[in-house]
Amino acid sequence: MADEVVIEAKGLSKAFTETVIAVEDAIFQIPKGSSLVGPSGCGKSTLLRLIAGLIDKTDGNISVRNAEVTGPRKDIGLMFQKAVLLEWRTAIENVLLPNEIRGDVGPEAKQKAWDGLQLVGLKDFEFAFPRQLSGGMQQRVALARLLQTGADIMLLDEPFGALDEFTRERLNVELLRIVDDPEITTIFVTHNITEAIFLADKVFVMTPRPGRIAAMIDINLPKPRTIEMETTPEFNALIKEVRDVLSGHLDGAPL
Amino acid sequence: MSSIEPDINHNIEIGGEFKGGLIGATIRHLLILLVILFVWEMANRTGMGDPLLLPRPTDIVLSIWKIYVTQGNVWYHLWVTFKEAMVGCFIGCVIGIGLAVAAVLSDTFRQFLKPYIIIVEATPRIAIGPILVTWFGFGMSSKVALAALVCFFAPFVNTITGLLGVEEESYELFRSLGATRKQVFWRLMIPTALPTMNAGLKLAVGSAFGGALVAEFISAQSGMGILMARYTMSLNMPSAFAGLLSITLYGFILFRIMEIIDHRVLYWRNDELMEKKSLQRSLAWNKEMKS
Repeated sequence: MADEVVIEAKGLSKAFTETVIAVEDAIFQIPKGSSLVGPSGCGKSTLLRLIAGLIDKTDGNISVRNAEVTGPRKDIGLMFQKAVLLEWRTAIENVLLPNEIRGDVGPEAKQKAWDGLQLVGLKDFEFAFPRQLSGGMQQRVALARLLQTGADIMLLDEPFGALDEFTRERLNVELLRIVDDPEITTIFVTHNITEAIFLADKVFVMTPRPGRIAAMIDINLPKPRTIEMETTPEFNALIKEVRDVLSGHLDGAPL
Repeated sequence: MSSIEPDINHNIEIGGEFKGGLIGATIRHLLILLVILFVWEMANRTGMGDPLLLPRPTDIVLSIWKIYVTQGNVWYHLWVTFKEAMVGCFIGCVIGIGLAVAAVLSDTFRQFLKPYIIIVEATPRIAIGPILVTWFGFGMSSKVALAALVCFFAPFVNTITGLLGVEEESYELFRSLGATRKQVFWRLMIPTALPTMNAGLKLAVGSAFGGALVAEFISAQSGMGILMARYTMSLNMPSAFAGLLSITLYGFILFRIMEIIDHRVLYWRNDELMEKKSLQRSLAWNKEMKS
């Protein structure tokens, strides 16, 4: 597995006000298939938005494919905890949104949107409106929309965080299957340690106040991953490793 | 108004009080109304109450017949008031929505606008009526002006509320897709705000009527306001009541029309319409992909 570096940061920091510092002095290199885990409020989402070019950094450097991030890029796509679907559009019309914004809604784009919905398991729901879909199905639409952008760097900010445990597990397995492409880089943000390990080749552990990357842990579990792996001793050892990093930083800290 | 239907259905389901469904309920309401009218009529005929001030229901019915059919003079006045209210409502809504959009898009403009809006909000708009009549004269324009002023506020506030209701993640999604400001505005902000905006427009239509009527009370040559003022001044109370009922009916019809428009435009908020749209769009899609 080649650890090709896609995203690189040096001395990156983001301060929202003088005192509230979300990310401080982050130095890291993110290879393909990474996840970012840490407790809420540690600046994971801020870091993700810095990479996406949605917010401006206060200091330091952040580059994607050796180019400084100055704004949103075509090769970066996002997915959030909320599906963020336009409720006046059908599922397929929501998937076509990226094409519409770029002004290329041709038969090819339409075919791709159709195929995308089949891929995420929404056959027969192409023309359903968001309100007719369950939370999990809405996230599937959001995933199809992300695939539709053609972005090969996918930033996923707790995409299934609002769903129940069972749905989340199933969607995680499907997500891995769908993005299992050597060309695609995924960065998965979560506060769930199991999920972070399950989804990634490399886990970045973040600690709060100020947000820092405290450890990078390689995950050498075989692929494709299955839910059953989560109960193996290897998996548990990894969980302990992540937990030790976090508790080392959190001991005595006010929660 | 739209909440009536589901309530009744609910009651039928649990075998509740609306036995006989909608028709039964309507008949019961009509019966109660008839009893009230009968008691009113009888009280009046037996010398209770002053028939000069509170006319008999039968006299009101006769007056309705008179002003609509034998004299037929009410049509012209209705038309005048309708015109004033609608033109005023249109102007008020355009200004209200326009200012709201500008205020949401520009922080500087919003800060500038704020104190004036607070002043306008604190002033009972109807109190400006006499001044408007002095400025714009006794004709149609002063009525239009007051109607516009009275109904401006609801679309203004609702448009601001609606536009500010767009979630941060939605903006982030659009920005990450490289959307222009124009695309964000038309494809995200306006549709998101539409339900709230429509609610504001519904309120505006009703209040525009009030505005036009009050301006007519102050001074006018024609319109329902001046017609009713003339009837009451000559103590022709049955006709005054007939005029009032006309205005009520009128307001009700307009409100219903607005509701129907609302319903059609906001198809995604109604289960039945939504299913119909789904089907339409899937048929259109299949047709297009085949060709």
